[in-house]
Formats: sequence, structure tokens, C-alpha cells
Amino acid sequence: MDTNRWLVILLCAAGTFLIRALPLVWTRRHLARRQNDTANTLPTWLGLLGPLMIAAMFGVSLVPVRQDWVGVIATLAGCAITLFSWYHSRTLGKPVFIGVVVFGLVTYGLTHLH
Amino acid sequence: MNNPTTNDSSLSPWLQGMRDAMPLLGGYIPVAISFGLIATQANFSVWEATAISALIYAGASQFLMVAMLASGASTWLVVVMTLLINARHVVYAPNLTPLVPPGRRWIALMHGLTDQVFALAHNRLPQLPMATRQGWYSGAALLAWVSWVLGTTLGAVAGASLTQQWPLLGEVMPFALPALFLVLIAPRFTSPLWFIVLGLTIGTALMLAVLQFSNAAIPVAAAAGALAYYVLMALNQKTGAEHGH
Repeated sequence: MDTNRWLVILLCAAGTFLIRALPLVWTRRHLARRQNDTANTLPTWLGLLGPLMIAAMFGVSLVPVRQDWVGVIATLAGCAITLFSWYHSRTLGKPVFIGVVVFGLVTYGLTHLH
Repeated sequence: MNNPTTNDSSLSPWLQGMRDAMPLLGGYIPVAISFGLIATQANFSVWEATAISALIYAGASQFLMVAMLASGASTWLVVVMTLLINARHVVYAPNLTPLVPPGRRWIALMHGLTDQVFALAHNRLPQLPMATRQGWYSGAALLAWVSWVLGTTLGAVAGASLTQQWPLLGEVMPFALPALFLVLIAPRFTSPLWFIVLGLTIGTALMLAVLQFSNAAIPVAAAAGALAYYVLMALNQKTGAEHGH
């Protein structure tokens, strides 16, 4: 067993946990001090970052595993059908499932046509 | 536009959380299998690979950590680089704090607060009764964590044969993540201002990811979007004031 390797694993695990958990404690204290309606006491920029981080994750995840024209067309088709399905169903699971199926079919179809 | 996602009252909050987190599996399992495979190729044991996924539980930084350790980088450099990549998580908990009830258990539950779980929770928690939120989050986070850990073990044990046998699966399943993020972000396009701000954020993140700056892409794109938001708000107020005179 490599002791140094385990030391790195444990330090990274502790650090990552603290990065995730400490802001919860700090924000609770901040909100408790204000003792007002919680939704209105967070700084505006912090509330703004939530949807923006999700939008950024979407942008990063758009880069397909397969970075060629098949990947680009399949990604566009998958996104279009996911959005269409979400617009009509307003659910979470069904649009994602349909999007993955269409993405897979387009990838498979274009790969075999080519 | 709102997002009235269905709340199935016949399901317990835990099961409802697990059901909502199912789309995450499509993204988590193939990447976890890849991580397990890469870790064992870098001379990590199955146990070590599994422990990294169970304890650190942060995709991109795990790949970097394994690569740096395999190349003989110093302990502190590996720790600092890994934590720098994970630093973006610092803004997730403050965004969830107003949405969750008090309780010490939430501190431990923050271990499961990945990018994807945050995105899901930020969208779903406001739609749920306060009393069911801890159960919902626990179910969703547990399913995501278990899939990541088991996927890593599977990849470490049999990753090479799996990727050879089903090469297309590794290309198709990860599309579940952009599809999920799209469904989570779509209800936010509520005004021209948000169209511009979100479009700019998505475009910036995509461009940075294509240019191989994936780790910096999320915080940099979000910062660019926030800047655009404040600039547009200031312009809007200025125009409003001029029309008022």
C-alpha cells in the first residue's frame, strides 16, 4: 500500500467535502443573523450564480464524446427533440430519455450510412 | 414560464428523489467506468480507484489527480490542483441553503453535492413540500453516488472488455447529461434579458470546452454571464431613466 497515495486521497477528500459543506454553515449563520425572509437576504449575485452555473454546465456538456460531424449532428438533433419533448410534457425524465434515444439513433444511423 | 414537474405523492420522498436522479446515471456510469479503467491502467488497485470515487466524488478532478500521481507529481501540488478544480462547488450550498430545512444532517449530505446533483436540486427543491426535501435530496444524491462508485469498480475490474464490447454505449449514454441540463435550464428563459445572459453563458462555456479549458469553463462562463446581467440591467435602468425625463 502506497502511504503517500492514500494521504493525497484523504486530503483531497477532506478538502472537497469542506468546499461543499462549509458554505452551507456560513450561509445559515448569515441568514440567522438577518432573521428575515431567507429568500430575500442572500446577495443578488449569489442567487444569480445558481442558474448561470447550470447554463455553463450545459455548455460544457454539449461537447460530444465523438468530436466529428456525426457527433455535432447527433447533439443538435438530441437537443432539439429534448427541448420539444420538455415543452410539451414539462417533465424531467421523459425528455431526457427521448433525447438520448434520438441521439443514439442519429449516431448509429449516420455511422452506418457513412 | 414555470416548470411543473410531476410530484408523485404515492412515492416516498427518497424514491421520488431516486426517480428524478435516474437521468444522471446515463452520464455518470460511462464516465465512472472510464475513470476506473484509467485508474487501473495508471497502476491504482481496484480498491484505491473505488475509494477515490467514494471519498472525493468529483469527476474531472479525479482524472487529474490520478494522472498527476501516476506521473510522480508532489503531494501538495496534486492536492492543490485537485481542490482548485473543485473550488467552483463553493457557490452551490449557499444557493441551496434557503431551500432546505434546518438540521445537522444537511452538512453530511453536502458530500453528495456534485455539479449535476446541485443542478437537479436547485430546480426540484422549490417544487417540493419542505418536509419532504431532505428525503428527496438523500434519495437523489445516494443514487448518483452509488452509481459513480459502482461504475468505477466495474470499470476497474472489467472496463477494457466493456468498452471493447459496446463502444457505441460510451458515446451515446453521456448525452443524458446535456439533455438533463437543457431540461433544467429551459424554464429560466423567461425574458429577453435571460435569453441573452443564458445564451452568452452557454456559448462561452461551450467555446472554452472546445478549446480544452473544460475545468475553467464553468466558473469563467458563469462570471461572464453575471457580468452581462449587470451590464444589461444598468443599460436598462439608464434607458428607463432617460425615457422618464
